Amino acid sequence: MELLNKKFPGVYCKKQGKYKNIYTLNMVKGQKVYGERHYKEGPNQFREWAPERSKLGAAMMKGISQTGIQEDSLILYLGSASGTTVSHLSDICTKGTIFAVDLAPRVMRDFYFMMEKRLNIVPFLASANHVEEYAEIPQVDVLFQDIAQRDQVRIFFKNYDKFLKPGGFGLLSLKARSIDVTKKPGVIFKQVMDELNQRTTVVDYRKLEPYEKDHAFFVVKKRV
Amino acid sequence: MAFEKLREKCLNKLRKDLKDSVNDDNLIINAVNAIDDLEKTGNMLVTRLREWYALYNPEFEKWMTNQEKFSDLILRKDKKTLLEEIHAKYSIGADLSREDLEPIMILAEQARDNYAIINDMKKYMEFKMRKHCPNLLEVVGVMLSGKLLAKAGSLKRLSQYPASTIQVLGAEKALFRHIRTGARPPRHGMLVQHPLVAQAKQKDHGKRARTLADKIAIAVKVDYFKGEFIGKKLKKALEDKFEVKY
Repeated sequence: MELLNKKFPGVYCKKQGKYKNIYTLNMVKGQKVYGERHYKEGPNQFREWAPERSKLGAAMMKGISQTGIQEDSLILYLGSASGTTVSHLSDICTKGTIFAVDLAPRVMRDFYFMMEKRLNIVPFLASANHVEEYAEIPQVDVLFQDIAQRDQVRIFFKNYDKFLKPGGFGLLSLKARSIDVTKKPGVIFKQVMDELNQRTTVVDYRKLEPYEKDHAFFVVKKRV
Repeated sequence: MAFEKLREKCLNKLRKDLKDSVNDDNLIINAVNAIDDLEKTGNMLVTRLREWYALYNPEFEKWMTNQEKFSDLILRKDKKTLLEEIHAKYSIGADLSREDLEPIMILAEQARDNYAIINDMKKYMEFKMRKHCPNLLEVVGVMLSGKLLAKAGSLKRLSQYPASTIQVLGAEKALFRHIRTGARPPRHGMLVQHPLVAQAKQKDHGKRARTLADKIAIAVKVDYFKGEFIGKKLKKALEDKFEVKY
């Protein structure tokens, strides 16, 4: 087991023949969040990170250059859903805290059982569009957004302005089909890229094929 | 760990919020989904039952087309009476012994119970909807109102839909094909299950679905804001317009 990249602490990889799998060190031993495989090496237990289930995992597999996620990061995660990706972030950020926001009670229920033993997660049952509902959180190092909404870029900037530290990273997972089904995804990615570039600096950009269809992953850095 | 206090506070709030988040919508939607599943399994069971029972009494199996009555009748009456009832002179089915007949009857009991459960659930849904959305119930009936609610997710969201959206709920594939490629738009989605649309001539389908969707949109809005009962009026307006009874 070796680190995937020096820039990503806590993300391990292992080559198995032609294929490469990524793993994180399981914080709660024995816990399976979404039926993922466990891998044991010495005293450590690793959880396989399925890129087809998690867009951040997919971005890592596609070789994204930086995410800004460190062991002691404060992360604001919008659209946490059942907590698939959040559970891996919680493995990585052992000294940090993840503030997870989601609107739907149904998925929050799954999330609740996942996070009971993970002490670095703070949940909010709120809409990412209503920033005042979780206004008590501090300024964060990383803002992650994965919500399939038509105005997801606007919501991203709303949170970006309010919660992200200068020099912090913003990660935006974009679903082209929820912005406009009639346009080609490539056209929408370009539009969003321009929109992001007007306000901030886009550091990296990946399409998430073949793990997700018509999705793109943007990494932006807030100017100091 | 940092933010321990905040976490505890948020967790308590989350527990409370999750507890309060369960409402009549969730209950009705689960019931309608359960009925859907039960109907599917029920049909599967009766199909298997027919196949099996036809070895013994193929004449009656051929004659009785109603799935629900079929399982009920073969349990209550024996082969001889059934054959007399359908005026069959002789049977080409095998004479099965009691041991061979028993498993067939067990399966029939299961199928009959299945239909009984469906009826109970429908009663429960109607009881719930009388309070939750009486107008919608009056205009479109139990099953279709449940399906509309399930599609929208909640009464609130359904009440926010325009009539044009309600008209094509359940025909998303055709609708998006229309938007993307300019193919012909769908005339109706699940509203085709409503007798007013289903019994219309092919060329009237679109017209009736459109009017029906209008009335549904009004009914749902009144329901959501707990207005007075206008279901009868809406239903009458529909019946008068098309000069039919449903």
